[in-house]
Amino acid sequence: MKRFIAVLGAVLLAGAVQAQETIKIGVITDRVGVSKPYAEPATEGMMFGANEINKKGGVLGRKIELLIEDDQSKPDVSAALARKLIDQGAVFILSVSLSPATQQQQTVTMEAKTPQMTPMNSADYLTTQLNNPYFWQTGPLGSTQIQTLLAHAKAKNLKRVALITDNSDLGQAIGKAFKGSIEKAGIQVVADEVVPLGATTATPQMQKIRGATPDAMFVAGVVTATNVLIFKSYRELGLKFPIHASYNLSVPIYETAAKGLVDGITFVDAYDPDKPEVKAFEAAYRKETGKEPVNLNGYGYDGIHLVAEAIKKAGSTDKEKVRAAMQSLTYAGVMGAKGMKYTFPEGKRTGFDPNGMVVRVYQGDKQGRVVHVGLK
Amino acid sequence: MQDFLELAVGAAASGCIYGLIALAYLLVLRPTGIINFAVGEWAMLAAFGGFLTLTRYEWPYPVGMAVVLLFLFVVGWATERVAVRPLVEKGAPILAPILALLGMLVVFRESISVSFPPDPMPVPYAFGIGRLEWGLLGGTYQSFFIIAVTLAVFIGVWYFFERTVAGKVFQAVAIHRRAAALMGINLSRVTALSFGAGGVAAGLGGLLVAPNVSAHYLMGVPLAIQGFSALVIGGVGRVEGALLGGMVLAFAEQLTVRYAPIPSGYAQGVPLLFLMIFLLVRPSGLLKAKA
Repeated sequence: MKRFIAVLGAVLLAGAVQAQETIKIGVITDRVGVSKPYAEPATEGMMFGANEINKKGGVLGRKIELLIEDDQSKPDVSAALARKLIDQGAVFILSVSLSPATQQQQTVTMEAKTPQMTPMNSADYLTTQLNNPYFWQTGPLGSTQIQTLLAHAKAKNLKRVALITDNSDLGQAIGKAFKGSIEKAGIQVVADEVVPLGATTATPQMQKIRGATPDAMFVAGVVTATNVLIFKSYRELGLKFPIHASYNLSVPIYETAAKGLVDGITFVDAYDPDKPEVKAFEAAYRKETGKEPVNLNGYGYDGIHLVAEAIKKAGSTDKEKVRAAMQSLTYAGVMGAKGMKYTFPEGKRTGFDPNGMVVRVYQGDKQGRVVHVGLK
Repeated sequence: MQDFLELAVGAAASGCIYGLIALAYLLVLRPTGIINFAVGEWAMLAAFGGFLTLTRYEWPYPVGMAVVLLFLFVVGWATERVAVRPLVEKGAPILAPILALLGMLVVFRESISVSFPPDPMPVPYAFGIGRLEWGLLGGTYQSFFIIAVTLAVFIGVWYFFERTVAGKVFQAVAIHRRAAALMGINLSRVTALSFGAGGVAAGLGGLLVAPNVSAHYLMGVPLAIQGFSALVIGGVGRVEGALLGGMVLAFAEQLTVRYAPIPSGYAQGVPLLFLMIFLLVRPSGLLKAKA
């Protein structure tokens, strides 16, 4: 009997240790909706990163457990999922779905005082509309993207440019940010066109742009299929002015989906293939998963590492301590130009250094070299 | 002028795509009274079929096209067997199969969504990328190919309905199901065949538009809406109405974007305005059914 109690005690104790063992991190991603092309690779990077951290012994001697939920990019679903994850004991929530969904989750995390971060969303409003001290954004902001692109284009002495985007939420938001920054730089927007999702051609819009004779065209669209449509019309009409494009062009699918269409296009990215951290990450990723790493994996990878660093620094999973640790964190990750570090100085909650973006150029069908760094 | 003609060729090609999707609605709607919103997903299935056969396995275009269209016939036929017939046999109201087909829409889309990567998949042009100049008319090879194939299909369908006995059978069912059944027409066979034919029409639309828009799991619903608008504008009474509606819609869309002095964000509303006007003023569409 004594022995039985001892065994029972041991089992219960083991159970208690087991239950205490993992650190639960909530992940809200999109597996079926419009953000899927971004959210899935980011989540894969996150899973790879969590695995890597666990193999090295985890955080505070405990393993990381990802609780992954799919919000279909629907803000209402997203908020309910944030609540669910917090109820399940998540100490941190990582959001890689659509920006409006991330925004909606904040209403929950703010109230529940649970740290939340988006390693990828780029909408400028995420940290400005709500004063949520439990939320951080480490994806490069939309406004930084256009300013980096413009800094690169400045040398080309542009006077008149065309702007084209799609009618998705994000496409519209980035289009607006592009337009504001272009006009602020004293450059005239001579054509401002929208290609709706589901359009079967972009020729009328491109004809209009051709008629406006711009020095260059800025593509603010973020939906790959629509951008491919734009490039097809551009080639079909035999247009020659240079194209400067949003970070959507940094998605590697263009190498196959837009074969023969992208040569010479410059685009803004947060990924420098020559950076040592990137080389190490890519080698490890290839070895572990057998798949070719892409820049979007890096966002999720950096995200989970930032969270792990914050918990390590806090020395506990107490949400208030983790919050304070996150706010004072400095971390060099995969994303960003050489030497860039994520920081949140003076209470700022956007962690991506405005000088950390790069402009790259397509060489043939391949994403080529970095031709410009930062805002200067 | 050249600008306009260039636009006209592209708009006509888009109109043909809308027309084919409208035809897919029409082929199912006339004999059964069922509006099948899953036609857009059928088109998507064909686009992915094009990606598999033509891009991944690099079959010759005619072979790939034939295989994809045959597959879509089977899909259409199977959709009827699985989602529609059990309801009709149990005497469910007409709304039931319409809702069941909306359910099938989700099934089709999610099957593709989980089986393929989320990115748009390339589908090749029938004759490669290139431009054909024909007097003042200029456009891509694909635009002319789309127009030629669509015209051939519509002539074929028109001939079938107007000039063949089998076509008359379909017409009879369309005019009065019960009376047709009393005349000894096999209703369930007509229904199954019309779903199969709808699958082929939608599939053709999907396969032809895929080189432009890429095969993508979210491509179905916009096509379904465009095709439905074309159907409402053209009228459900006659086969030619589908093509006419598609043309009117595509020209309205593209001419507004190109020439109307309004921001192009607003130009997207114009086709919807058209749809509303037609529903209010001429709900039977441009072409009326023959008495």
